[in-house]
Amino acid sequence: MNRFLDDARTESSGTIKIIGIGQSLRGDDAAGLAAVRLWQEKYQANIDRPNLIVELVELPGVGLLGMLEGTRTVILVDAVHNNTKAGMVHLFSDDQLDAFTEGAGSAHGWGVAETLSLGRALMPSAMPEEIFLIGIEAGDLTLGESLSPEVESALPEAANLIEQVVTRG
Amino acid sequence: MNQDIHIPALARVEGEGALTIRLKDGAINEILLNIYEPPRFFEGFLHGRYFQDVPDITARICGICPVAYQMSSVQALEAALQVTISPEVRLLRQLLYCAEYIESHALHIYLLQAPDLVNHESALTLAVEAPDLVKQGLRLKKIGNDLLKAIGGRSVHPVNTCVGGFYRWPAEQAIHGLVPELEWARQASIETVRWAATLNYPDFEQEYEFVALNRIEEYAIYDGDILSSKGKRISPQEFEKNYIETHVERSNALHSHTVDDRTYFVGPLARFNLNYKKLRPMAKEAAREIGLKAPILNPYKGLLARAVELVHTCDLAIELANLYQPHGPSHVEFSVQPGEGCGVSEAPRGLLYHRYVVDEQGLIRFAKITPPTAQNFAQMEADLWALAPTAVKQPQEEASLSFEHLLRSYDPCISCSTHFLKLKIETG
Repeated sequence: MNRFLDDARTESSGTIKIIGIGQSLRGDDAAGLAAVRLWQEKYQANIDRPNLIVELVELPGVGLLGMLEGTRTVILVDAVHNNTKAGMVHLFSDDQLDAFTEGAGSAHGWGVAETLSLGRALMPSAMPEEIFLIGIEAGDLTLGESLSPEVESALPEAANLIEQVVTRG
Repeated sequence: MNQDIHIPALARVEGEGALTIRLKDGAINEILLNIYEPPRFFEGFLHGRYFQDVPDITARICGICPVAYQMSSVQALEAALQVTISPEVRLLRQLLYCAEYIESHALHIYLLQAPDLVNHESALTLAVEAPDLVKQGLRLKKIGNDLLKAIGGRSVHPVNTCVGGFYRWPAEQAIHGLVPELEWARQASIETVRWAATLNYPDFEQEYEFVALNRIEEYAIYDGDILSSKGKRISPQEFEKNYIETHVERSNALHSHTVDDRTYFVGPLARFNLNYKKLRPMAKEAAREIGLKAPILNPYKGLLARAVELVHTCDLAIELANLYQPHGPSHVEFSVQPGEGCGVSEAPRGLLYHRYVVDEQGLIRFAKITPPTAQNFAQMEADLWALAPTAVKQPQEEASLSFEHLLRSYDPCISCSTHFLKLKIETG
């Protein structure tokens, strides 16, 4: 056990973990949370998947590391800023995230890329075997509870992408 | 350096901010520090909400210091509704606050400011060269978050605090079980103080007016009177008459000054300088061992004050955790009545003031939140002006780093709502 890592473990150590990240009072920043909730409604409600854990977290910062620890596959769902059109949905694998520190990146302080780099430097053996990031390009980040129409209409695509990664062969 | 500096997003500060420094004929012409400050949004967002929802909503202002927002808001609402909490609740709130100090100070010391002092671009590069150091910081932070979760139910945004007390008492074993880790944390904090004393701090001292909470019997964090290093002591109710916020056109943040228009400085340096004698003996001994005495007038050495406070809060947390024995109701029952009240506590970054007006239905009719970073804002600008003449003699990149490091030493929580920590220096 890596005792320096943040946040408590979830009850069971599932083999796949979906983590929705966002700030629910910051407009499109909540896209990751909303996409995971939609996936739960559309795909997860009637299916028993004991090896799958879902977490929704606001501003986890480096605490994200504790959620990755001991999990085989992690699907991170987050708002991103990748200089594309608002509502564009991107799928990145772990190695593609290396270039994701400047000019583009997750929207959350200690971004996904930085946190993964920190994890690889400090706890390489405890990191997941594979990490996917489903990024939804954010548009409106003003304070408030609602998503922009572009991001709202992109949620089904993001939810579908989550399901594809979960059920891939 | 002969070009303007523009830093559109400051790295390694909690939130968003931008800094522009304009030169004219080789001299500083203008310094613009812009801060995007969400507490103003929350003041409007809270309007019309039920009072009991306020602690959980304000906790979401910041992922690093949610407890501070809860503690100032519940105290303000308890004053408004004339609710008196039990001594047991006060002790548990103090323990919850210790948790936040541990996680927040560990984060700032090891991951945010230390890289500047050891010439690293970030904690990532530091982690490659000195993994054990960064691991120590992360383990300290985790212990704070674990304690926060044990009391508050969640490790990032706690949800157990309510007006009148706590929704439920945490399990006794959950709190007592953390004592061994807290003992490790206390020892690690003492080592942190020794290590922090070996770092090279820039030579920069200014005359400041420090403002912090003060209590006769303890190092004030949860509550107290408001004391200034100029000697003025006021009650929380007098805060707005003595510390004035004004709107500055270039920023959506309000700037604070004393009523006679002086800048002032809140945060760990203010607490250490004003309340040094009230530190727990172990923390005082750690400070004495490295020759650290009040007053510290170098803002970069806020890191040392934080390290000493880590020892203090770990030691206090151990005592409070050992004493913890839940009995009686976890919150008091009361009837809703219209009223107005204010509350003030010491967030890790400094004094945090809230005031609310509640109507007869318990709905919020007015909310005012004065966060520590807004109070330090004018002082940060004054320090940038003081630093500028020497900084601009350096090459562009080094000058830019000097300004950033100064701002980071304040541990500004300039929005805590994200974002895009890209650093870009515009030329021309």
